This record gives sequence, C-alpha cells and structure tokens, in this order.
Amino acid sequence: MAASSWKTLEVRKHHEQKDVCFTRAKYREGRRPKAVRVYTINLESRYLLIQGVPAVGVMTELVQLFAIYGAVEEYRVLDDYPAEQFTEVYLIKFQKLQSARIAKRKLDERSFFGGLLHVCYAPEFETVQDTREKLQDRRKFIARTTNRDKNLDRTEQKHEEPDTSKEVVNNLQLETSEIETSNVSEDWNTCTYYGYPMLPPPPQEDLQRFTSVSGNNYLEPTVHDPLFKDFTTTSTGHAANTGKHGVTEWSPPSDIRKYHGPKEVSFTKSNTSVARFIPRTTHLQDRKRRKEQVAVDSLIGIDKNDAEIFVGPKLPEEPKVDMGDDSLNVSADLIRNRLIKVSCAFVLLKTFLLLSSFYLLY
Amino acid sequence: MFPRRGGSGSQGSDRFEYLQALVTEFQDTDSQEAKEQVLANLANFSYNPANYEHLRRLQVPDLFLDMLTEDQENLVEYGMGGLCNLCLDKVNKAYILQNRGVELVTGCLSSPREETVLSAITALMYLVTPAARSQITAPPVVECMVRFSLSENKRLSNLAEVFLQDYCSPEQLERARSLQEHSALGIPLPRD
Repeated sequence: MAASSWKTLEVRKHHEQKDVCFTRAKYREGRRPKAVRVYTINLESRYLLIQGVPAVGVMTELVQLFAIYGAVEEYRVLDDYPAEQFTEVYLIKFQKLQSARIAKRKLDERSFFGGLLHVCYAPEFETVQDTREKLQDRRKFIARTTNRDKNLDRTEQKHEEPDTSKEVVNNLQLETSEIETSNVSEDWNTCTYYGYPMLPPPPQEDLQRFTSVSGNNYLEPTVHDPLFKDFTTTSTGHAANTGKHGVTEWSPPSDIRKYHGPKEVSFTKSNTSVARFIPRTTHLQDRKRRKEQVAVDSLIGIDKNDAEIFVGPKLPEEPKVDMGDDSLNVSADLIRNRLIKVSCAFVLLKTFLLLSSFYLLY
Repeated sequence: MFPRRGGSGSQGSDRFEYLQALVTEFQDTDSQEAKEQVLANLANFSYNPANYEHLRRLQVPDLFLDMLTEDQENLVEYGMGGLCNLCLDKVNKAYILQNRGVELVTGCLSSPREETVLSAITALMYLVTPAARSQITAPPVVECMVRFSLSENKRLSNLAEVFLQDYCSPEQLERARSLQEHSALGIPLPRD
C-alpha cells in the first residue's frame, strides 16, 4: 500500500499556489499576504511537497534544513513530478504533524540556493493508516483541550509558542543593540571628557547627594563611589560582560543604562556652572571651522589674533620672523599656530588632570 | 496560522471583539468577495479550540450550517471546512446534530468540489455518536463511501476507507457492496 501511495504524481489543486488576496479589509489583513483558503485536518499532512529546489545536488542541505523542525522519517526526490526547468521536487515525510506544520510555515517561500521554495502539504501520499492516525490525533487533541475548559488560555498560548519565541529573540536583539549603543555613548562621553578642554565639575554639595542617591538606586555603592573611578570600572565590567549576550536575564547592562541617565544629567548640571557641555561633533566642526578661518585669514593676510581659540595665560609674544617671502610667511604662520594650539591643549589637559586628582582626593 | 491580535494578556476579549467584527461584516456586507473572505477567516478560526466559546456565543456553527445550502460553491466549501474544524468539540457536536447537521453535511457529499467532499466525510466521522450512528451510516452514505473508496483520488479513497473500516459494520459493508454491483454506475465523482 505504501508503494502505491508514492506513485500519485499529478499536480493537485492544493499544490498550486493560490493567488494572494489583495482585497481584504484593513482589519483583516494578516502579517503576511495570503490567499483565501480554509485549512482543515484533511489538508494538513506529515508529508510535505517541496517545489522549486534548484537542481544542483543539494538534497542533503534541504533535508538538513527541514530536519530543524522535527525528525524526518522519509524523503526522496520526485523525478516524475512536473517541475520547472532546473528545479527538483522533493517529498519529505515528518514523524509528527506538528513538525510539518511549523516547517511549512517557516520554509514556504524561503530562498534556498538561489531558488524560492514552495512548500505545501501532500496528503495524497498518505496511506489509509496515515490518514486514520491523523484524524485520531486531531480527535485526541480536541478532547484534551476542550475537556479542560478552564485551561483554554493555556492551549492558546501553546499555539502561539513559535511566535512568542520569535519575540523573545527580537527583544534580545533589541536589548543587545541598546547595549551596544549605550556602550558607544559611554565611550563617547569619556572621550569627550578626556580629550577636550572641558573642566570637570568641582565637588558640590548637591551633586554629591544627587549621585549618591542614584548610586543607591542603580549600582552597588562600591562601584559607584568615586565618580571617575567608576567610569573605568563600569566600562571594563561592560566589556567583560559583552560575551554573555545570549543570556536572557542579564542585569548589568540595564543597570548601566539606567545609571547612564543620571550621570549625564549630573554632567550637564555641573557643567552649567563651570563649562558648557558641547557635543563632540559640534566641537570637531567648530575646530575645523576655526582652523579654516585661520588659514583663510592668514592667506588673505589678515593677521587676526588667535585669542578666541586660546584659553589661559598667553606665552610672551615671540618676535615675528620674516622669511622674506609671502608664501613662506604664510606656511610658517600655519606651523606656528599649530604648535601653539597643541601646546595649549597640553596645558589644558594638565589642568584638567590636576583638578580631577583634586576631586579624587576630595 | 491565524492572525493574532493584541497582546497575549488580554487576548480573550480582543479575540471575541475581532470575531464579532467578522460576523458583523459577514452579515452586513453586500460584496460577495468580502463574504467569502470573512467566512474563510471564521472557518480557520474554528480550527483552534480556544475560540470555540467565542464562536458559539456568536452562533458561528449556525452560520456554517446555513452556508451548506448556498449556491456559491466557495461559500459551501468554506462553511463545510469550518464545520469540519469545530465539530469534534462535544458542545458543538451536540448543537450540529440537533440542527439537521447530518442531513446537511450528507448533502455536501455530492458537491463537485474536492475539498467540500473531503470536509464532509471527515465531519461525518467526527459527528458519529451512539445516537447519530445509524443516521450517519445510512445505506446511501455507505454506498457513496464505497464509490469514493474506489476513486483514483488518494485523499478521497483514504478517507472513505477509514469511514468504511472504522465506522461501518461488516453487514453494512456487505450490503453496500452488493448494491453497488447492480446500480450506482455513472454517479459523478467530485472533480478536482
């Protein structure tokens, strides 16, 4: 009987891809475009017909792909089944109907070695016994679920399981991407902090209170206490933890993220009194603009003083050296300006380090 | 497999409202196309036992039964599919049996549509109860199943075989086969 069941190789109506229905009312539109079709237990089967498999000898890969969704009992290529040029048609028999269901849902219209798979149920390959078991399984399932009327919701959830798992994955991805961004922004912050002339907040009474409150809420006190030390500890802890992305319950990043907010707030808050908080990009643009301006100015010959760039005490004016040639003078000016700027930045960095050590002591 | 609305938490009431909207559209719309789509939606929702309570409150089993005598083949097919999906539940089964269900479903055995006939055979098997058995395995039905069991169509012959082997007594089979021999030629089988 089994042998004869493998012989039916006509294209059946339920093998054809029905035209997708585009006239559904908005509220009835599903997530994926679908044709109008009613699924009953008769249409479902442990046998799946896979059309559109490129004829490049990928049977093993195909079976491996389908085996992800459950144990495959039998498979074979259907040589006599009418197929498009350069494609093959396969028949896969799963051990369980549920596996076939999921495999069909996941793999239909999926691209595979350059071809687009069309997966459909193939109940005409069933034996009488297969059909009988299928009907009985459905009977048992209904009896089981409807006898426990109270637990209806649970069965519902069981039905939805594949999707919720997808959502979990999505959440996880979301979380990791958030972690990544938070990581970046943290680097950014410290970078801004050390690389640019922005003065650290002086120890203030209310700031201290503020951070300690946030520390109690979000981080262990040991990590938190000295503000600058905890930058490094959090970021190293972070780096160490990034290996654990797959774990669902991963608390450190959320702590850091939460902690991130107050930290920024405390910065802006303190900086208003000392120095303006300027995003790094603005800074870079500003610097570039000024540099260009200086170059242009010196090219035109306007010898503007560079006072606006420099903060802090000026070095005694060096006597101007005339190179005897205009273009040489311009080049010399540029080099000189650059040197002054670098040394100035160095001075500022020193001031900053001094102040920060002062803060640490405090 | 089915569209899912709302979060998983308050799904019960969301689902009911959605189903209610479907039933309302089915009753109010003048568009044949929309009617078919909505009916197919309801039939697919009937596959999931979690919806049975809602569907009963909305009298969807009744709606499906009404469809079996429609002229539109699509409506018959979807209505029959819906019945096939929900008739295993005890409450639904009792309701269908009380409302001339066997008679209406048996009528679908002579449909030209493959899916309609298949749903009808399965539904008949699922509707068998000690009380309804005699009606479901009435001689004309068994004869019809004998014919189906000889069909080239594997899905049809498999289902008919299961029906004959599992729900009919040897005497019934014997009688139907003997009748088959001297009548019943030329009765059309469903086209694909």
